[in-house]
Amino acid sequence: MTAVLEVKDLCKTYVINKRQNNVLKNVNFSIENGEMVAIMGPSGSGKSTLLYAVSGMDSVTSGKVMFNNKDITKLKSNELAELRLNEMGFIFQQMYMMKNLTILDNVILPAIESKKTSESKKEKINRGEELMRKLGIIEVADNDINEVSGGQLQRACICRSMINKPKVLFADEPTGALNRAASHEVMEELIKLNEEGTTIMMVTHDAKVAAKCSRVLYIVDGNIKGEYKSPLDVQEKDRERILNNWLMELGW
Amino acid sequence: MIFRILKNDLKRKKTMNVILFLFIILATMFVSSGINNVATIMNGTDYYLDKANIGDFIIITMGDNAVGSLDEMLKQETAIKDYRKECVVFGAQDNITTEDGSSVKCKNSTIYQSIKTSVINFFDRENKKITNIDPGHVYVSGEFMKENGFKEGDIICFEHSGLKMSFILDGTAKDALLGSEFMGNTRFILNDKDMQKLFKNEVIYDHYRGEICYIDTDDLQAMKSAMTNVSNVAFDGTRSTIKMCYVMDMILAFIVLILSVCLIVVSFVVLKFSITFTIMEEFREIGVMKAIGLSNMKIRSLYIIKYLTLAVIGSAIGFLASIPFGHLLLDSASKKMVLGNDNAIFMNLLGSVLVVCVIVLFAYLCTNKVKKSSPVDAIRNGQTGERYRNKSVLRIHQCPANNAFFMALNDILSHPKRFMSIMLSFGICTLFVLIMVNTTATMKSPNLISTLGKESHLYVTDVADVMNYMNTGSKEGMKKQLEKMANELEADGMPAELCIELQYKYPMTFNGNKYVLSCQQGLNTRMTDYMYTDGVIPQNEYEVAITPQISEITGAKIGDTITIHYGEKDVDCMVTAYFQTMNLLGEVIRLHEDAPTDFRNISTAMSYQIDFTDNPSQEEIETRKEKIKKLYNNDKVMNATEYCIDCTGVVDALESIQILLLGITLIVVVLVTILMERSFIANEKSQIAILKAIGFKDSMIMKWHVYRFGLVAFIAVAIAAILSVPMTDFCITPIFAMMGATDIQYNIDPLQILLLYPSIVLIMTVFVAWMTSIYTKTIKSSDATNVE
Repeated sequence: MTAVLEVKDLCKTYVINKRQNNVLKNVNFSIENGEMVAIMGPSGSGKSTLLYAVSGMDSVTSGKVMFNNKDITKLKSNELAELRLNEMGFIFQQMYMMKNLTILDNVILPAIESKKTSESKKEKINRGEELMRKLGIIEVADNDINEVSGGQLQRACICRSMINKPKVLFADEPTGALNRAASHEVMEELIKLNEEGTTIMMVTHDAKVAAKCSRVLYIVDGNIKGEYKSPLDVQEKDRERILNNWLMELGW
Repeated sequence: MIFRILKNDLKRKKTMNVILFLFIILATMFVSSGINNVATIMNGTDYYLDKANIGDFIIITMGDNAVGSLDEMLKQETAIKDYRKECVVFGAQDNITTEDGSSVKCKNSTIYQSIKTSVINFFDRENKKITNIDPGHVYVSGEFMKENGFKEGDIICFEHSGLKMSFILDGTAKDALLGSEFMGNTRFILNDKDMQKLFKNEVIYDHYRGEICYIDTDDLQAMKSAMTNVSNVAFDGTRSTIKMCYVMDMILAFIVLILSVCLIVVSFVVLKFSITFTIMEEFREIGVMKAIGLSNMKIRSLYIIKYLTLAVIGSAIGFLASIPFGHLLLDSASKKMVLGNDNAIFMNLLGSVLVVCVIVLFAYLCTNKVKKSSPVDAIRNGQTGERYRNKSVLRIHQCPANNAFFMALNDILSHPKRFMSIMLSFGICTLFVLIMVNTTATMKSPNLISTLGKESHLYVTDVADVMNYMNTGSKEGMKKQLEKMANELEADGMPAELCIELQYKYPMTFNGNKYVLSCQQGLNTRMTDYMYTDGVIPQNEYEVAITPQISEITGAKIGDTITIHYGEKDVDCMVTAYFQTMNLLGEVIRLHEDAPTDFRNISTAMSYQIDFTDNPSQEEIETRKEKIKKLYNNDKVMNATEYCIDCTGVVDALESIQILLLGITLIVVVLVTILMERSFIANEKSQIAILKAIGFKDSMIMKWHVYRFGLVAFIAVAIAAILSVPMTDFCITPIFAMMGATDIQYNIDPLQILLLYPSIVLIMTVFVAWMTSIYTKTIKSSDATNVE
């Protein structure tokens, strides 16, 4: 397997009120193509900062982030935008969408903007509808964003993130704002996408969600303190128990 | 507690609060200066005429035997409560030259008078009363200094009937009687010693002396009847006639008034939007406050106190700024008049207080939703979920354009009210600019020529020559002069016929009432040369045409018979037609060419009019114009357009108002665009961040914002351009009607109306929107997670 994402000596420092705050300290890890990796850690440990730094949404202080063997820390803002549009997908905890557009238009907006394929607008719309049908939200395609449930909205965000067939999907606590049932639905969709070959890097607080991932990176004070590989030959319930034990060992 | 929340709110939502604060300052500036300007302009001419002490009835006599019959009338007429009289000397343009002997331009005949014996008040540029003029110095009324490029301190030379003097120009005097465009005589105000030198010259004393009398009376009809016994009257008119002479200046003032009202409307529209917009942003907090149990009144009072605080501070600054801003607007309209009111500061203060009250009222009304909505509704930003119509109006597949354009168009269609305020502001301002453009273009075109007289190829104004005939000549002499000029032109290869319009003052009777009215008769013209609005062209000396104004004064209509007293002969004339004219504000009777007029009753002669008989091209006419200027050593040789401009005399002022209006429109466009766009950016921060996070480039986001304002501006200017033609007719025709012309064919230049001015507004909007949208670059994709 080849590494789609390789992080080398990544540091991120904020200066707040003339005080230097080292959020990420020489972080090193890589993610293979087709992996589903969870980032866990206590609040303020730097999980989201790490996600945004490796996805090019935030600048880094030092270090390298190799995406498909290309150092994205060296890219200009327009090149980064191009990369995020065509090669990456994003899901956030809050289901941010354009307020004045319908669900379907929100989903296909990145596809219309992208020049990655020579598809016509109609084909892109069909693809968006297909994705929504797959995720079970086609009936709300013409609804406004405040006329659907949180679970439906997050699934719409997943559709939007997948519309340009990204290589890597970055998710920042995708189930954080959802109830248990909706959370389960969303995770099922993400697992399906991963099984279809999409690499996923996700920040989560939920061990149940993390247990569905093939690998878990545990971060504390800006450093990766441990790495957990999910055993493939055990049942889901057991995987969650084993992960919980591992997390407790790390002080979770 | 409330003050602590308020303090934190002002700090935390700095951007929106600063934007609102700036709007309040601007609104106060516009409203305060606007109210003051409205009050000032509504009292404009009355204030000026009162300050100048003009009186109720004014008589000007000139020429031989000018003094005598007037004194007799003043003694005998019982309707006169009081009168003031001043002695003047009449002259012509060629009496004055520059220091190096070059000729100067003067409008109509010139009048010389002593400041000491003056019974009315003159004002300088700063609107201060002129009380003293040193010997050898002079103040001049009207546009004399500007037209001839003189500065204060320049020297002019005077030569009249052998008397030579020179004067240092002290400046321009605002002359309430003669300073208007329609009176338009140039008055030179001198030291009394210099004036005595003029009177000591026998020729001047005998032939060029005149009197101006200002009468206080309540019975104007009696005064008009009494005038039938006064000879050598060059002018007699009521205070309202003098007021009407300022109609051109009042047009400018009323444009400032309309502009002020327009700015007031724009200010309130924008303020309402800003307050609604900022309170919408607060709904989540309102929900939290409701949820923790604060009463509706407390929550509302919190916001009302916040807006009151902003309003009081903003209005105080706006009040200070409104004083110079108001002066700037008024100055452009009051070059010839002393405009003002005694309560200027109070008016400005009233405007500021009004803005504070309106803001508090808006805040109270906008927070009304607090009362109606539950805490959960409020937390959901005021959405109750009960909505049956989709907010999103447009779908991507319906829009063939790119994402940026689609999103911009969809935003406008989804929130028409939000964008309506921008559209209204841009539309109203652009509409006024276009109305001004149409008015100026009409004033600068030959369209008005039929309202001034017969249309000719060229017009030669030679006041000195004409005055000479008026004082000492005869109708036959004038005819010979026209013939002589025609021969001279023919000898120079310019075969032409010449004519001239003459105005007489004749008493007339209708229904037993006596009037002294101006009658216009062409020399070498035919009645068919003129335009009539109704009736049949007069066929002989027993038929006349009148204007609607004369009809209103006398009550005479088509078919009625009026009696005109031509000296020893009384002629009964039937009114056969109506016509329109801007001469003497429309108070004119047109006499048939055979009517027995006499130069003893002449009051004014217009220009020599040249009609070439060999059908020359327009280019050739222009060439001949230059040739005639050289031939008669006279710069005042004009084509029809130039003659219209010269007669109305306000084109320069209109053009400067047009530029001022365009400037103010652009300022409104710049301010509204910057402030609104910054409000939108502050409101859409999360959406901008999310767009960036999912891979949209800065340029696309900037395009989205620019398209939005571009589209709104485009719609606004397009509507303004379409409305400009009917609105010009609606707004400006009544003003022309006041001057005597009701049927005006406007000169509409499609290039200016549909392209030039709309493009200026549009380009400015797009440029400012683009500059402001650069701010979106400061929003990072990672801000998507930091937004509330």
